[in-house]
This record gives sequence, structure tokens and C-alpha cells, in this order.
Amino acid sequence: MLRLLLPVILLLGLVGFSVVTDRSAPRADFTFINRGDVNTLDPQRMSWMQDLRVARLLFEGLVQNDVMSADFGIVPAIAESWSVSDDGLIWTFNLREDAKWNNGEPVTAEDFRYSWRRAMLPDLASDYVKMFLVIKGAQDFYDRRQAALEAFTEREFASGKEREAAAEQLWVDTQSWFDEMVGVRAPDPRTLVVTLKQPVPYFLDLAAFAVFYPVYQPLVERYERPDPVTARLIRRPGWTKPGVLVSNGPFELTEWRFKRDMRLEANPHWWNKDSLAIGSIDIPSVNDPNATTLAYQTGTVDWVSDVTAPYRGDMIADKQDFYAEHADLVARLRASEPDQFAVDRKLPDDPRKHIHAIPAFGTYFYNFNCKPLLPDGRPNPFHDARVRRAFAMCIDKQAIADEVRRLGEPAADQLIPPGSIGGYTSPKGLPNVGQAASEAERDAIVDQARALLVEADFPMDLVVELLFNKDSGHDLIGQAIAKNWQEFLGVQTRLAQKEIKIFREDLKNKQYMTARAGWYGDYGDPTTFLYVNYSTDGNNDRAYNNPDYDALLDRAARELDPAKRMELLRQAEELMLFEAPLVPIFYYANVQLFDAAKLTGLTPHPRSKNNLFLVDILGDGRGADVPQDMRPPAPEITR
Amino acid sequence: MTTMILRRLIQLPLILLAIYTITLALAWAVPGSPVENPDRRPKPEVIEQMEKQYNLDSFWKFYVSYLDSATGFEYARDRLSGRIAQDQRLAEAAGQPAPVRPIFNLGPSLEYDDWTVNEIVSGALPVSITLGAAAMLIALVIGVGAGVVGAVKPNSIADFATLSVALVGISLPSFVIGTVLLLVFSLLVAWFPVAGWGSPRAIVLPAVTLSLPFAAYIARLTRMGMIDALGADFIRTARAKGAAEASVLFKHALKNAFLPVLSFLGPATALAMTGSFIVERVFTVPGIGQHFVNGVQNKDLFLIMGVVLVFATMLILFNLAVDVLYRWIDPRIEA
Repeated sequence: MLRLLLPVILLLGLVGFSVVTDRSAPRADFTFINRGDVNTLDPQRMSWMQDLRVARLLFEGLVQNDVMSADFGIVPAIAESWSVSDDGLIWTFNLREDAKWNNGEPVTAEDFRYSWRRAMLPDLASDYVKMFLVIKGAQDFYDRRQAALEAFTEREFASGKEREAAAEQLWVDTQSWFDEMVGVRAPDPRTLVVTLKQPVPYFLDLAAFAVFYPVYQPLVERYERPDPVTARLIRRPGWTKPGVLVSNGPFELTEWRFKRDMRLEANPHWWNKDSLAIGSIDIPSVNDPNATTLAYQTGTVDWVSDVTAPYRGDMIADKQDFYAEHADLVARLRASEPDQFAVDRKLPDDPRKHIHAIPAFGTYFYNFNCKPLLPDGRPNPFHDARVRRAFAMCIDKQAIADEVRRLGEPAADQLIPPGSIGGYTSPKGLPNVGQAASEAERDAIVDQARALLVEADFPMDLVVELLFNKDSGHDLIGQAIAKNWQEFLGVQTRLAQKEIKIFREDLKNKQYMTARAGWYGDYGDPTTFLYVNYSTDGNNDRAYNNPDYDALLDRAARELDPAKRMELLRQAEELMLFEAPLVPIFYYANVQLFDAAKLTGLTPHPRSKNNLFLVDILGDGRGADVPQDMRPPAPEITR
Repeated sequence: MTTMILRRLIQLPLILLAIYTITLALAWAVPGSPVENPDRRPKPEVIEQMEKQYNLDSFWKFYVSYLDSATGFEYARDRLSGRIAQDQRLAEAAGQPAPVRPIFNLGPSLEYDDWTVNEIVSGALPVSITLGAAAMLIALVIGVGAGVVGAVKPNSIADFATLSVALVGISLPSFVIGTVLLLVFSLLVAWFPVAGWGSPRAIVLPAVTLSLPFAAYIARLTRMGMIDALGADFIRTARAKGAAEASVLFKHALKNAFLPVLSFLGPATALAMTGSFIVERVFTVPGIGQHFVNGVQNKDLFLIMGVVLVFATMLILFNLAVDVLYRWIDPRIEA
């Protein structure tokens, strides 16, 4: 009999052992569910929003955005002051004396030089290397290293030892090339001088981007060695782990279990540590959309940065009902409170008000393949701007936003969300069937579009293909667009739904006619959106090639007067919208869950960038315990 | 017995090699480059060099080099030639941390920059093993209990009820059962946490959800075995000599009826420990199941091969362990 029980005893022992050894830490002051799992904590390798969000907690750059001001202006961080030469080319940053790494060592200008050099190396394949190429000599340095690496792989060596030595030597040479060629100098430990290739009015906004944040050289360089075969610098993982990572931001990393959780504690060496109103942050890894919402509703987490549950549209509708029940109060509060979170805070307590749809710094759009030929060699009708324009006009964007998405997202006429960038006035977009005031007006738009097709000699027997990836409701939007085109233009359509990897591959190889797409801005300047249509840009999935458009962007890049520059960019966007290599559908909203009466420090600004070290749990006796609201009024996001 | 174990252990590398070859061939055929990041792509020449560095530029190069490092041959070679000791000395002299050299090196994760596949697997496997073991435990208790009840009075209401529950357990997908359990026990009465891992309470709901299909199967196996056994001559003999009914049921009948359950237990345990992707997702359990899916979605070749090899090894070893147990419990079975 005992023998029979053995499997049971074995299983019991296993479970018992694990339960005893694997316990979780007590709850942190602030717990939130991030957009997704963090991919890397190496700032120079980052490209995901969730990574950048954590990077701003662990590291600190020269400057930062004031996320609570409507213009998202720049305020000091590690640099206490800075100046720029009259020609806009030479930036001098003065670093604070009390800026320290969490091991107590001072943060120096050399740390920034080292980190920026890493980002400029082709070896690191940084997704944001392009941002660094505005620095003088950076492009040449990148090209030289890349050419040297390619030459190295071609070379024959007598022995493996010789090859290894040559790889080492190439790395030594590369470092001296950087010193000679690139306009980043550190005349003393507290001064950083950056020389740009051309004036970049938004350079401070770049410097506030986490990819420009410093890493600790004595640690990181120990994990990077040239590969003896390819001479590329190999990054060994390991330095981003708790107990090893050295960082200079408000928090330090005390726990990181892959796809499980991450914990941060206040950094005792941070110069501004007295400003913190929370001592610890927990970031559990919860990826299931439903579990994410339940975790909030049961009080397990304080903030959900991205609500993706399929019923979020219903939750937002519930909030509208709640607003309707308190219509008078809401109207009164809205008149005096520009910040939507402040309005919610002052309304009576109700779980329905915990959901927030916030305008985001991104746009959902459809690509047209602009190449002269289709993948199968037939002539591509979408090469003709008139055809693209006709198709663009005949998508009922408003219906997609209202009936398919149901998140209160505004239909989009422009690529750049209007009002998200200070000083920039959006151009007018194309007429659209969705915003026609009357039946007659809509018919006029449709007639105009049909006339364009006739003019362009569009082959009506062509089956127009819409490419999109599975999930996230792209299929529903694709169906709506296909139906619009059938109905308004009388064309035939085919929906092509693919796995995300294959979808991306098709986009890259221009194996499509029309395809879904989206873009989030990275920094506060129109170019963050406009460069995706530059003819040689790596993200130009449309193969759009218009010398006039490129010329406008080039002219803007040389223009020193900010107002004139913005005007050139406006013209560029206007031209692009008219030529329609893409058709904007709607501006993304970001849906969050939190109780505005309990939590403050989160921003409603459409730049979608939170600095979570500002978070304060109201009424917990720590920090100021005073609500932080947007000042002055947040820009209104309307068409 | 020893020859059986030896024979199976010799088979192990051959089976693994076959699995390795087939999986790699399939994973290789997935379109897209493993070193590419979705939205912002490195330049083509950079991709080319990265592929070279990871031996991703040729199937056979990757096939051989990954096999070499994953099976420990590379480690053994470097150990014998003194390279590992030399690297350690060099690192020490340069003030660098000694490179971590696992014996079975499953490679870096291409998608998750900061992690090696060894780290990912060693973090997730204990979680999955615990969850799987807890689920099998529950499945055994429920399944054997229900099976015995049903067999004692076949075609009674109790029998019918247990069989119906078993049918539901097999046919309802776990994301439905899991979500319902979550709604009732986490949201409505708040006995258990919604998500996470690290407390005994957090194990209960996912383990119950994971256990139900297994419990259902075990219940049917036990019932059939018990009905057969209870009709056998030795039971009549046991009753005739005046053995107590409990003793007849559990000592005599169940011992025989349990054998088919035991042989099911091996692969089932391995499956419960690695195939819990959906349950892991519903309850946010940081187990290994998700890495099968994520690995394939991202075409993270190292991760795919790593988890497949670990899973295959586990499956083979569990089957072996069950066969050993089987012979130990019932010595009539010969090798």
C-alpha cells in the first residue's frame, strides 16, 4: 500500500518545498501593471514604451520633460544649467555637483560620452541610433566602424590568436576615432559640450529621451568584449540584474524575475530623493487583458497603464453614464478644472470613474504601397497619388472610431495629433466621407473620388488587398474599410490577415497594396512623425518618394527661425496628406485605470510620457499629499 | 530492471536528436529574421553581421553549433583544453566578472536582450513543476476518489454524477473554467488572489483548473480498473476470508486498478508541468508554457530550441521514472 502512495508523496513533497522556498515580498508603496514586460534595462538598447518608462525611474538624463505642464517644457535634471551658441550648433551642459550613481560615485560628463558612444556603435544595433546622428561626426563614425567591421569579416588571418588580437586592436582604434570625429566632448567632469551637425531645435527633448540617459561605464564595459570572429562588440547579459546594476535615477533595482515581477526601491544616493513621495514600486508582470483589469478591481494594483480588455469600450460607456448622472457637477467642474483627472477626483466616489481615456501621441493609419509595380510585376495603381487620394477620401473614419473602436478616439485628418506639439499648427487634411454634414455633401465627396479614379484610369477589375495582422481588432477595422471602398468606389476588395512576423516582413518587402499601420511620436517635434515618409527613411514602409517632400524637410532642418521652420514642416505635412501615401484613420487613446482621488502625479498630456517618480498616494502621510494638476490648461485635442 | 533503465538512457540522446532536428527545421522555416526588432529595424548590414555572430546565416552552421553548446560538448572541450580556466584568469586579471559558463548552454534570448535561455528556463521551470505537481495531486485525489465511488455502485446516481463531472472536466476548455473560477473565488468572494505567484493561496486556482481534465481521465481509468478488479476471483476470495470491505476496496482492488492510472501519470505529469500555457496566462503564472508560444511568435530560435529540448528531456525522464515505479509496485511485470 505504501508503494502505491509513493507518487502522491513525491508530488506533495515537490509542492511543499516550492511553497516554503518561494515567497513574495510585502506590497510596495505603489504597484502598477506596465504596458508589457520589460525587454531590456539597457537604455541604449531600448525602444519599447514600457522599457523607457522604467528607464526614467532607474536612470536620469541631462534634462527632463515637465510632464505636468501643458507645453511639456524642459526642466533641469543632471544638468543644472545649459546654453546654446547663436548658430544653434554648440550645446554646453553644466552637470550638478551632487549627481551620484547609486554606489555613491559622482555622475560625470564622461559617463554621458561613454553612453552616447555606445548608442552610436553599429555593434549595438540601437533602435534609436538615428537620434544620435544629429551630432556632428556621428554618421561618419558609424559608417567608419561599420566599414571596418565588414572589412574585418572578409580578412584572412594566419591564426585564431592573430584574429583575436586584430579584433581587440580594431576596438581600440574605434574608441580613438570617436574621440577624433564626434562632437561630444567633456572638458571637465562637470561640463559636457555637444556640437551638432545642424541646428536641432528639439535637441533638449532628445536629451530627455531615455536612450540618451547614461550608463555606468566601469560596470558596462566589463560586459562588452569584441567577438573574435566578427570583431563586433558582444554584449553579455548580466549587468542589468538586481544587485549588479548601477544606476543614477530616483530608484534602484532590487528585484527582477523574468516575466514575473520587478521591484524598485528609492535610491538613497539620488540628489533629489527628498522629493519622492513613494519608497518602493512593484511592477508585476500581468499580460492577460482580463487579469489586468481584475487585478485593479481587486485592489492588487494601483495603476494599469494600458487597459486592453475587449470590454474596455463598455467601461468607458459606463463612465459616460456616471458623468450623465452628475451632469451639472461635471459641467461646473469642467469649467474650472482643465485637467480631466482633477474633474474625476472631485466627483463622488464611484468605481465607474476609475477608467480614463487619454489622448495619446500616436495615430492609426493605412499605408498605400507607392512603388510603380506590384509585387507580382503588374503596374501598381496606387503609385498614382490620385488613386490614393480617392481611396483615402472614402474611408468613414468617424464610424470606425465611434462604432468599431468605441474608445472616444477622435477621427484623424492629420498624421500628427493636433495640439500635441507646442508651436505647431496642423494643416487641413483631405475631405472625408465620415465628416460630411449632409447626404448631398457626402455624395459630392464620393463623386469627386470616383472622378479621380476615372482620371487615373484605375483598373476596376483589380482586387484591392488590405493587409493586417491578427489580433487587436485590426480585422474589424479592415472589414469596415473594405466595405467603405466597395460601397463608395465600387471596387473589389480582399482581406489578408497574417501573423505579426509575416505581416512585418511583407511590409518591409512592400508585398502589399494597402496595409494597416500606426506610429507613436518619440519626441516633441513634428519631424518625429514626418520623417517616416522621407524617401530614404528605414521606416518608410510605403516606399513613398517625393523629392518635394524631402526638400521641405531638408529646408526645415536648416532653418534657424523656429516659426519659419514650423511653417515648412506644416507645408510638408500638408503636401504629404494631399499626396496620401497613407491615410490617417484615428488618433490613439490610451486607456488607464486608477483612482484620481487616491493617486496623483500621472499626466493627462497627449505626449503619453509619465515620470512615475512624481507619483504620490494621497492621504498616506508621505510626500506633499497635494494633488498635482496639469498647468496651465492642457491643450484641447480636437480636430 | 537495470538493463531496461540502461537501454532507455541510451535511447534518450537519439530521441532528443530526432526532436532537435525536426523542431529546428520547422522553426527555421518560420518567415522573418530572428534578430529583427518589430518597429524600428537595424540597417541590413547590421542584421547581416548579427546573423553571422549568432550563426544564423546558415542552417547547418546553427544546427551544429547549437547542438554543440546545448549538449555540453562545447563546455567539456573548453574545460579539458583549459580554456575556461584561462578565461577566468583573464577576466580576473582585467577586473571583469568571470564569464558564466553553464554546462548545457542554451544560448542567449534574441528577443529579451538581458536574459539567457538558461536563466529564463531556470526561472520558469520550478514554477511550472510546482504548478504541475499540485495539479496532479489534486487530479489524483479527485480522480481516484470519484473513480472508486463510481465503481462501488456502478450505474448509481453517484456514479452518474461523477461521470458527468468528468465529462465536463474533459470537454470544457481551461480558459473557461479558469475565468469562471477567477470570477467566483477571486472577485466575488476574494478568497484567492487574481494574479501572481509566490504564496500558497496563489497556487490553488490555477492548480485546480489545470487538474480537472486530468482528474476526469483518472476517474474513468480508476472506475474501469476497479469494476474489472472487483469482479475478479481474488476479490471474492478476500471477501470470503472475511476481509473488511475497506480493506478489500483499497488494499486489494485499488492496487490493481491503479496500474493504468500510474502509466497515465508519467506523460500526464510532464504535460501538466509544461503544457499549462493557457492556465498560466489566465492566472498570470510565470511558468514555462508561455515561452513555447512567445518563442515561436518572435522566432526566438534559441528560446524555442531551449524549451523544446528541456521539455523533451523531461518527458522522456518522467516516462522512465513511471516505468521504474510500475515495476516496483507490480513486480510481475518484467523488463
